[in-house]
Amino acid sequence: MTKRDARAPEPPTSRWVTAACWHNCGGQCLNKVLVADGRVLRQKTDDTHADSPLYPQQRGCARGLSQRQQVLGADRLTQPLIRKHWRPGGGDRQRRGQDEWLRISWDEALDIVASEIKRIKTLYGNTAILSWDFYSLYYTSKMGASWGGGNEISQMLSLYGGHVNVWGSTSQGTWKDTGVLIGLGVVNGTNDRLDLLNSQLIVMWGVNPAWSSSGSGTYHYLQAKRAGSRFIFIDPFYTDSARVLADEWVPVRPGTDHALVLGMAHTLLVEDDPATDPLIDWDFLNRCTVGFDAGHMPAGADPADNFRDYVLGTYDGQPKSAEWAAAICGVEPAKIRALAREIATTARVALVNSWAPARVNNADSWPQAIMTFGCMTGHLGQSGRMTGICTSRNAANSGPSLVLPGDDGVQYLANPLAGYNINQNEVWDAVLTGRYTAGHGDVRDIDIRMIYHGCHSYLNQKPGIDKAIAAHRQVEFVVAQNYVLNPSARYADIVLPVTTFWERPGVLFSGNREMLLWPEQVIEPVGEAKDDVWIARQLARRLGLDPSLIEQVPPPQRLYNQLAGAKVMKSDGSGYEPLLTITDADIAALGATGQPQAGRIPLAELRERGCYQVPRRPGDGYTYIHLEKFRADPAAHPLNTASGRLEIHCQALADHIRRRGWSEISPIAKYQPPSEGFEATFADWPAGVKGEFPLQLYSIHHPARSHSCMDNVAWLREAFPHELYMNPADAAPRGITAGDSVLVTSRHGAVSLPVCLTERIIPGVVMLGQGAWVDRDEASGVDRGGSANVLIGAVATGQGHAGFNSCNVQIVKNDGDRREMRRTPM
Amino acid sequence: MPQYGFHFDMTACTGCKTCQIAGKDKNDLGPGLFCRRVGCFEGGKYPRPWHYYLSLSCNHCAAPRCVAACAGGALSKDAATGAVLYDPSRCTGCQACVSSCPYGAVQFDTAERRIVKCDMCHDLISAGQEPACTSTCPMRALHFGPLDELRQRYGDARDARGLPDSSLTRPSLLLTIDRHARPESIG
Repeated sequence: MTKRDARAPEPPTSRWVTAACWHNCGGQCLNKVLVADGRVLRQKTDDTHADSPLYPQQRGCARGLSQRQQVLGADRLTQPLIRKHWRPGGGDRQRRGQDEWLRISWDEALDIVASEIKRIKTLYGNTAILSWDFYSLYYTSKMGASWGGGNEISQMLSLYGGHVNVWGSTSQGTWKDTGVLIGLGVVNGTNDRLDLLNSQLIVMWGVNPAWSSSGSGTYHYLQAKRAGSRFIFIDPFYTDSARVLADEWVPVRPGTDHALVLGMAHTLLVEDDPATDPLIDWDFLNRCTVGFDAGHMPAGADPADNFRDYVLGTYDGQPKSAEWAAAICGVEPAKIRALAREIATTARVALVNSWAPARVNNADSWPQAIMTFGCMTGHLGQSGRMTGICTSRNAANSGPSLVLPGDDGVQYLANPLAGYNINQNEVWDAVLTGRYTAGHGDVRDIDIRMIYHGCHSYLNQKPGIDKAIAAHRQVEFVVAQNYVLNPSARYADIVLPVTTFWERPGVLFSGNREMLLWPEQVIEPVGEAKDDVWIARQLARRLGLDPSLIEQVPPPQRLYNQLAGAKVMKSDGSGYEPLLTITDADIAALGATGQPQAGRIPLAELRERGCYQVPRRPGDGYTYIHLEKFRADPAAHPLNTASGRLEIHCQALADHIRRRGWSEISPIAKYQPPSEGFEATFADWPAGVKGEFPLQLYSIHHPARSHSCMDNVAWLREAFPHELYMNPADAAPRGITAGDSVLVTSRHGAVSLPVCLTERIIPGVVMLGQGAWVDRDEASGVDRGGSANVLIGAVATGQGHAGFNSCNVQIVKNDGDRREMRRTPM
Repeated sequence: MPQYGFHFDMTACTGCKTCQIAGKDKNDLGPGLFCRRVGCFEGGKYPRPWHYYLSLSCNHCAAPRCVAACAGGALSKDAATGAVLYDPSRCTGCQACVSSCPYGAVQFDTAERRIVKCDMCHDLISAGQEPACTSTCPMRALHFGPLDELRQRYGDARDARGLPDSSLTRPSLLLTIDRHARPESIG
């Protein structure tokens, strides 16, 4: 990046441009860039209105303010690249990831990509081509979340006969399917931020908005604290969110939350006395749920298969007591009982969940377990009372969006090979072995010969990187699009440089429920970078396809469609009205066609501010209480479940898991030790004898990055060193001291990185920020980048989502690789 | 002389370092140079650990050691704001100021042979705007203004565990102190 003279006055031609901060960071904020004569001078965040807790500015974070280093870094790709030893068919494929790069022209690059696609289709058919449809939205960027980009390559390949696709949730864990089937939901599962102020107790279960939900989430929770709410954090780590908010920290081992909540449920069941010590909301259970006890089972279910008798151990002889739970989760029995009683005896409690505890192998019943506890205590569907998911852009503020962009009008092309869909945990095995699981008892053959990465970071961001690298070295051709040489690009034969959002025409972005953003083009494309649609169309033309079928709606018309359809909720909450007044002159200036319209604010105002934010006030029409109508009258407002109620017994869930083909679960929330969870750290669990991998490792959202995005940004690397977090009690017996480099080994791979010793993490558990770019030393096979997914295996269980928080490791001091820990000097 | 300064609410800071990056962006700083930086202090034992952050810039002290140490007069107090400002044309590069500052707030940029320090975003505040760091803080833990007004609003606490004794230089920095950083806990 060119240095500017920070002392020089800003040129008179400079102007502030609203810039996209497009990352899937769990936030979405207002980012502005000062530009003069095509050069970026500096950045700022929201100053469009005075700041207050009720009407807060949409302030960004360290990553957002570092974006000019991301967009204009010295490592931006400016020309297409080809691997030096590439030959048609691959050449020496083992050199992928360690070969030299040569610059080539766009024509040469596109000709090669088109001819390889054609050759592979001709020889092996379309089922030899592996690509992704919407996955490019997520990792390096969300390119397309707002304007149909991200799946252009999928569209091009679909026109050419289709491609094999990959499925499986990265973020949502088992909430993805379980949350829907039991009736609680996957997102927006709590009340809105102003109603949260009515909670007397807020239990943050695996929730760390300070690191995983940039924007205003933590600030909203701080308002609840200042209003008098007590906060309990249940987490393996004493987080930065806990630092500011927590009145109490309950450390818990990763993947054992389910055991903990069963111990809490047992406490309530054995201590409840409706007359003298009421702890259970029987009225709620009876009216709003099925499956809690033998008297309230859904039709056709075995009455013995009820939650109450499972917890009491009526049939299996094992009460799920606080003592039973303590041995698994690490929380003392007395604390388990106290926690259960405090939640049960406090009138208004928020049981706030993130998806993290569900990003665990075999955790398919966890969301049902926490929901069941929420139902037992009645903390659902009333003011100040909630149990559910509250995370990402909705952190501390659930509810329907108050302002939304219109549909951009782009029609996606269907993939003719939609039936060829491989689970994320098996995709690299499928490449290497030619087999994958398509369902229960349904293992199929597949013959993958090429991999086409859109602008994403799939290789780095899914479990099992070592297998991913092996798979990339087996196929005949790998192509990647990116703006930097990220890990997916590094293992490609050809890399096509793409533009970022700063170099593209404007689009509308949704953020949290109260605001809508209109970022515009900031600078001209860097070097020869092209946008993904141009690339897809160029390839389509070379393959004899009609390029105009890809992303048919031109950018100005897409933008107009979003603007004209933008809607804002009426102040009484009764519905939406048009946001924008648009004139004929506006439409002409946009270069679109359409009709003028009347709305709440002029188009020019949205463009000038870059943001529209709905003002809030206490008692306004925007208050949201999750499941409020259902709770008040379940018969009149049934849920979309088989019974219409919250399903403590959910046959649909058990059937769904069985159909997937990897494991089976009970219709009620029975605890299953996760594959590679705490119990698996023992060679002999009943005897308490530890095994080869005695420590648990889990991965977290790290403030230096948005997933793998921005791992290359110098300001962020300096601010947030990438280190393994470890308790001194685990370090001492291993001879590890502060500043050491450690070698971390799991069943799936090995990494080395500096260690950070901290009393803030539960002993027996180590923690790694996810998203660091793999940097494999070929001689040893060790990843010197410390990438979590080298250690975390691609283990397919249950519904097939990613189990990032189930991993067992051993750790030794790494004398061969001592690197100074970089600390911010004070 | 009017004196402007900062207030830092330690109880609200999550250590997100947005202020640190804002200082780097505003002043276009390379690695190792900061106009504001955030440090972490940790103590206690599991399961009762504690930690807190300190976000520090130049404190534009009432008795600035750097100004006293500068023989060439390159550092001086601004009459309008009380900011300690740097005039590169009078700087010999002797770095006496660097070693004099008890906060480590004055740094030497070896590549450009100049001093790097916070100037309260002099250009912005002269235009009636806020400094880059305080206007970006997601937790609203940093505030800027005339020191008298800040004192009325946030109190006059200036000493916290991890900071030099405020009587040394009389910093223009007020603190809302984290309970683990109370000066009486030093020892």
